[in-house]
Amino acid sequence: MALQPAKVKYRKMHRGNRAGIAYRGSTVAFGEYGLMALERCWMDAKQIEAARVSIARHMKRHGKMWIRIFPQKSFTKKPLETRMGKGKAPVEGWVAVVRPANVLFEVDGVTEAIARESLRLAATKLPIKTKFISRHHRAS
Amino acid sequence: MKSVLLNAFPRSQTRGRKVKHLRAAGRIPAVVYGGQSKPENLELVSKEMEDLIHHSASENILVDLAVDKSKRLALVQEVQHHPLSGKVLHVDFHEVSETEKVTVMVPVESIGEAAGVKTGGGVLEHVLFKIKVRALPKDLPEQIIVDVTSLELGKSLHLGEIKAPAGVEILGDKKVTVISVALPKTEAEEAAEAAVPAAGDVEMLKEKKEDGTEGAAPAKPGDKAAPAKAGDKAAAGKPGEKAAAKPGDKAPAAAAAGDKKAAAPAEKKK
Repeated sequence: MALQPAKVKYRKMHRGNRAGIAYRGSTVAFGEYGLMALERCWMDAKQIEAARVSIARHMKRHGKMWIRIFPQKSFTKKPLETRMGKGKAPVEGWVAVVRPANVLFEVDGVTEAIARESLRLAATKLPIKTKFISRHHRAS
Repeated sequence: MKSVLLNAFPRSQTRGRKVKHLRAAGRIPAVVYGGQSKPENLELVSKEMEDLIHHSASENILVDLAVDKSKRLALVQEVQHHPLSGKVLHVDFHEVSETEKVTVMVPVESIGEAAGVKTGGGVLEHVLFKIKVRALPKDLPEQIIVDVTSLELGKSLHLGEIKAPAGVEILGDKKVTVISVALPKTEAEEAAEAAVPAAGDVEMLKEKKEDGTEGAAPAKPGDKAAPAKAGDKAAAGKPGEKAAAKPGDKAPAAAAAGDKKAAAPAEKKK
């Protein structure tokens, strides 16, 4: 289930900027362990979904998982062989703006070994470097 | 909680760049407030403070601040960390009296494997990670440890059921759930979560029509911009149309807007 907003005010957005690091959403808030972004990117809804599936499969219905990011920014793409101009292109997909220090996923109710492995598998689906963090040790 | 001796030095640098230099030199800016004396800016040795935090179970630490041969009993009120590296950026100390009770948030830790998790396959859920307690500084616990071994599937542990250490009063609504053992996910739930719904369009709250009548909102009688005038740029797009648009013509704005759009490519070709 690829994430996307149910209702938006305006369909097409400006690109904005993704400078700096995240201050909000940079701590483990719900679970015991988390996956923190070390780089910045536009994270596609498909990438978030792929990571979610890999965590869910490895945890095998044990434990609980939280997705801390949501793709609420639309991006557009011009059709092939189209001349430039004629306005902004149709919406192609949805992305989440991820900055360094954003916590992407959290898990709880499983052992640290399982949490580490499931988040490692999830990290392989993502386009950026990440690190495993826990509620008690910030820089593990 | 036993107090730990921590050396601190008075600090004169209070502005951004100077404080950055301070951190680069292996010091941490800090402040102490509360009690009878005035607030004071301090600096700590970075390694000393980080070791102290690393070796304690929580960030609730009682310290004996040694500043200029005087000692001030204080609680660590807040520790600011760098979001990415986790390094300590700043520490707030709250000066306390040995004889006055203080209210602090203490983390809750669970020990043992809950019966509901072990046999029923449930999930242990921490609903509340910190609870508010009131006690004398010497009685304050670093953390409250709760044994969850007897917790069955679907059962919860409430604030009122937690046994407080001697001299400690737990504050808050006694009915609030602290830890619970939730039922495991069923296969149907998992399948429903993983099911791919038809990729529906995102609903718009505000949208322009894309059928060529962009901005074709019905003109209101009181709208100044609505009626197209003879001198309008839009109306003057094509020479032929200019003649058609007479002064005092009450054509709706939509027509004017449409004309402008249609006129633009024609002009480019020329």
